[in-house]
Formats: sequence, C-alpha cells, structure tokens
Amino acid sequence: MPLKQSGSEILLESLRREGVDVFFGLPGGVVLPLYDALYSSGVRHLLVRHEQAAAFAADGYARATGKVGVCLGTSGPGATNLVTALTSAMMDSIPVVALTGQVPLHLIGKDAFQECDTVGITMPSTKRSFLVRSASDIPDIMHEAFKTAVSGRPGPVLVDLPKNVLMEPGEPTYFNEQGMEKKERIREWTDADLERAADMILESRRAVLYVGGGMIASAAWDELRELAELANIPVTTTLMGLGGFPSEHPLSLGMLGMHGSYATNQSICNCDLLIAVGARFDDRVTGRLKDFASLSKKIHIDVDPSEINKNVRIDVGLVGDARQSLRALITAIRRRKDQNPSPAARQQWLQRIDSWRGEHPLTYDRYSSAMKPQYVIETLSRYSAEDAIVSVDVGQHQMWTAQFWKFRQPRTWLCSSGLGSMGYGFPAAMGAQLAFPDRQVIAFVGDGGFQMTLNDLATVAQYKVPVKIAIINNRALGMVRQWQELFFEKRYCDTDLNFAPNFAMLAESYGIRGRRVDHRADVKDAVQEFLSDREPGLLDFWVDPSENVYPIVPPGASLAEMVVEPPRVLAEEEVLDDLWAV
Amino acid sequence: MQWLIALETNSDPITSCRLINIFRRKGVGIVTLAMAARPQGFSIITVAETPESEVEHIYNFLRRVEGVQHVTYYRHEPQGDASFVFIDSEPQSQTLNRVLQDFPGAKMVFGSAGKYLLEIPGGRDLAGAPAEVLPFARVKTSIPQPDLITAQAS
Repeated sequence: MPLKQSGSEILLESLRREGVDVFFGLPGGVVLPLYDALYSSGVRHLLVRHEQAAAFAADGYARATGKVGVCLGTSGPGATNLVTALTSAMMDSIPVVALTGQVPLHLIGKDAFQECDTVGITMPSTKRSFLVRSASDIPDIMHEAFKTAVSGRPGPVLVDLPKNVLMEPGEPTYFNEQGMEKKERIREWTDADLERAADMILESRRAVLYVGGGMIASAAWDELRELAELANIPVTTTLMGLGGFPSEHPLSLGMLGMHGSYATNQSICNCDLLIAVGARFDDRVTGRLKDFASLSKKIHIDVDPSEINKNVRIDVGLVGDARQSLRALITAIRRRKDQNPSPAARQQWLQRIDSWRGEHPLTYDRYSSAMKPQYVIETLSRYSAEDAIVSVDVGQHQMWTAQFWKFRQPRTWLCSSGLGSMGYGFPAAMGAQLAFPDRQVIAFVGDGGFQMTLNDLATVAQYKVPVKIAIINNRALGMVRQWQELFFEKRYCDTDLNFAPNFAMLAESYGIRGRRVDHRADVKDAVQEFLSDREPGLLDFWVDPSENVYPIVPPGASLAEMVVEPPRVLAEEEVLDDLWAV
Repeated sequence: MQWLIALETNSDPITSCRLINIFRRKGVGIVTLAMAARPQGFSIITVAETPESEVEHIYNFLRRVEGVQHVTYYRHEPQGDASFVFIDSEPQSQTLNRVLQDFPGAKMVFGSAGKYLLEIPGGRDLAGAPAEVLPFARVKTSIPQPDLITAQAS
C-alpha cells in the first residue's frame, strides 16, 4: 500500500534524499505546516533574521562545497526578500534551490494576504521556477530542481509551494539517486575543433590562460594547472576564478581587468593567444572591448553556447564542460610531444611579464604609519589556515582582498562578483561555515555592506557559528567615494558613513567577542588572537580612509590605459627641485 | 537583419513568458509573433529584427533556456531562392490556399490564426509573391529531424 505523507513531510524527505544536510530560512504564515513537520524531522534548519541572508548563506554553502545550497522564505515579502540573492546566484552561476511558501492554490490571483507572483517575479533571476500543484508531485519537482541547478551552466531554481499542497496528503514516489548526481553537461565540439585549438596553443609564443568561475564550477583546477605547466602558459583569473590557481605558483598572474595588476593587463594586451576557460569577457575584465587582447587569437571553452562570440570574436569555441574539454586538450597536446612549443619563446614571454611586474608591482605604501587596509588583509592571509575560506562584500575591501589575499585552494573564495551585491559577505560566510564547521571562515566586509546584513549577528551567536568578521572600516562607501574623487571632481555626495554604530560593542551586545583596532602596531596581535579560538568574532579595523584601489582602468578606457598608482603629491623639496630644474 | 525564430517549449506557460522577456531584454524587435498550444507544450514563431551580429548569440541563448525543447532560425531571403515561406495574413485570408496551390508539395511547419510557416521542397523563386508571403532559408536548428506535417488546403 502506498505511503501517505503530508506535502510538508514529502518535501523534507525529498530534501533529505537529495543530500541536503542544512538549509537556511525564516518561517511565516503559509509555511507553518512545513515548520511543524520540521519540528520532528531531524533535517537541520538555520533560522536567519532576514530572508536575504538565507539565500546568501545558501550561495556561500554552494560555492564552498560545490553542492546545491537551499534556502526558504514564506510567501510575499519572504519570497521577495530572496530576489537579490537569487539574482546574484544567477549572475555567478551558483546552484541554489529556493523554496517559497505560497497562498493556497484557490487564492492565487485573488490578492490574498502575503500573496505575490513569486514565479513571475523571479523569472529572470532563476534558471527555472516551479509552482507545485499537488503533494504527490513534490519528489519529481525537487529532483528536477536539483538536477537543473547543477546541469549545464549552474544556477538558482525556485520551487513555490502553496499552503494547501504542504498540508494535503500525497502518495510520493521517491528517487533513489540524487538529482545533483545526474547533472548534464553538453559537449558540442568536434575532434577537428580540438585539434585546431591544440595547434593554436602549440604555435603560440605569448599565450595567456584567462580563467573564470566556470573552471571552479566544473572542478577543473587540476586540469588547468596541468595544461599551464605542460605548455608553460601563465594564468590569470577573473574575480570568479580566484582560488582556482594558486597565487604563489610561478605561472600565476593574479586577477586581470579593472583592478588587475599592471603585468597582468599588459600580458593581455600583448599576448598572441588568449585561452578563455569558463569566463564571459565581462566589461570589468575587458575594459574598452575593441582593444581587449586585440593582438591575439582566441580559444573559448564554455559550457554555455551563448557565451561564445557574445562580447569578443572567438577563433575556436569549444562548447562543453571545462574539465572534460581541458582534459581532451591536454591529451591532444601530449600526443604531439615532438611538436614541442617553442620553449625559448615561451621563456622570453615569461621574462617579459616578470619585467612588467618589476616596473609596477602590485603594492601599497608598506612603510606608512597609517593602518593600510591592504596590510590588514595581508596579515590575515599570513596567519590564517591553509584551507581558510574567505568571503567578501562588495567595494574597495573586496578588490584589496582579491589583490592581496594569497589564494591556495579552490572553493575558498566567496564573492558576489557579477551582481556585486553589498551585504553578501557575512551571510555567505555563515553558509560556508555550516558546511565546514572545522575550517576557518573569514568574512571581510566594509562598514557600508556590513550594515546591510549585520542583523544576522544574532544567528551566528545563537548557533555559535564561528565565523570571523573583519570590518575594513573607512567610514565611507569607499568605492563610490573613490569614483567621486577620481571621476566626479571630488564632489562627495552621500558617501560619508561616519554616523555608524560601534561595531565591536554591537557584537558584544549579541554575545560575540568584538574589538576595534585603530593602530597598525596592534594588527598582528589582534589577528592572532582573533584566529585562535573557535567562536564567532569581530574585528573592526579603522583603516586609513584616504586609501584607494589601484591600479584602476578608468571607465571606458582600455586595459593599456590603466592608472597604476595614485597621483603623487610632491613634497616641498621636490617642488623646489622641479622649479630649479625649470 | 530580419529573421524568423521558431521555438517549441514544454507545457509550463512560464517558459513562454521567459522567452518573451528574453526578446525584450536582448533587444529583439518583434515584427510579428504567433503562439499555439500543442499537446506537449507551446509553439512560438516570430519574425524579428535584430542586428546581424547578435543573431547567433540569441539563437544560442534561446536554445539553452530551461523548458525550451527546440529552436530553429531562418534568415529572410527577399531576393534568392527560399525553401521556407512565412505567411503573415489575417485569419480569414485565402493566401494559404493560394500558396498551397502554387506549391502543392508544401509542408506546414506551423500554423495558427493566419500565421503559417511552410516548407517548400526543392526551393522556389518567390519573386512576385504577395507581400504577406515572406521567403526564408533555414540556418540552424536544434531539432535533429524536423517533424513536418503536410498541410491541407482549407
């Protein structure tokens, strides 16, 4: 006789069978039957203080694990509060399944209390959205949702659950396999395409690998490293690709684009072959499009066919999974061992890149008595564990972390890259920490972004989630202020955040240890103490507010037109020297 | 350029909504559009104006949208031979009958409320055809074997 369960019980059992070990949410009217079933289900749920944090936490969990993150909101405002985070996951191709409550089916379209068109609202923010009409359909839909989230180009999927469906009895037929295990990735390239790509690599003298989040999504970091070392090709990563190639590897170029280093951007401007892997030629990467890598031929590996030739003309497009495609490319290159890529030319190319590094290294005023934000980030990087996970908000601190953190492992970098959503860093770190309770998880946040989601200090305190929060506090919306300074004649309008809480005391009020750090001399001790325990903690670094992010490619400019350092204010004696010289 | 996009989706209407929204967002200028329900889902056909450089990207974008089963695109061939014609007429128009008389082997790919897409085997010179008959050539399709039905003159 078929088992009869309520829709809520079927949902929780489906989650369990899909391998969900924790999900993040906040209850409300229409999802009360679900929370009632949750009470005795044994499925772990983390009560957040705002649904946006639930979805960002699910995103952080997904980025750190490579699995699907799950979040839940009630109908109406609960659902709309998820939208920013779902849009961010969509932009960055992160697999998230969002569950939303909905008013009973017979009330949909009647403007019922807390009713909204969740499926309609989230249409462009999700890969796919389902409205469940029967409790018995839940296992099928959940299975499909998980499969869709990880298949092809990953992304968020939404499942809208009317209250009557959660309450009604159903006769479920469960799957024995998880939807995540059935992920599908198309392969559209032919052997001829692959051979042509291999030829281009072997013929090139000044090649660069340009790698994005698609490489992380397909877990292709070993293949990337193998190809780079096999052909002696330097590797630059986008913001999304950070962690996929070790920062301290001799072939690492770090990040490219608007805040990439001089050497990296010069290598893009001068390369004769650009091999893009799981990257989408975003405007923050390319600068003025027509001048981007204009001397090079281009190979583009991507699982999404619509990315090929979207922004930049490609010579060979390999549509397929990055890992499989790179593996095939490595095999094709190894097969022609005798056609060794000109080692001397490759070596000259690496030397040239080194000389660019020497001309304008990625640096800051290391001897300043002021507490430079880059120094704080470097210190945290130095004293953190090898496998520490680092999460960031959006703005100046995000770029400094991308520049100065030493990335050692993949899936240790959590960043709302495409959408650039402030408020992401802290809840995403919370999600990653739930996945890896024994690893260090550090959330770098700005004083602006942190004020958008700091209400979830209550969550980490309640569940004793040992996230470490490092506020890079410059008392401003720093990146916006930087643009006002550089591009709007220093007309600073509404970027001053001097009116803010005492973050250390605020943390203490939640029962979290907090400390404010004002002086450079105190940074090292504060960091060591901060990282020494397994409790949540907060350090509020009052950094030099005048510091800006350099290098910078001004908006509309090409990578070659980057400004490598701030205009220098001449000392009095230098001014006099200049006058005498005249 | 003017092109014709034929799409088949699953039975969830939200997929069609997504497609219309994608047309809006990607700047696809819709000249005419028709939609029909099938047992397995929906068929959408649209004649659109798009810069030529964008066409390939939009085709690829549409074929990877969840719930889209197949996409085919056709290029408008106002001068040359065409193996497909699109009839953009009023529902009561006799244009379809006239075209079927002129091309007796024609097979209907899509038909709804005065909008018809017909395959004309062998290709024909359509110079002199009425204004509501637009010639097209198929460029790309995600359908391995197009499922065509012979049209009956009404």
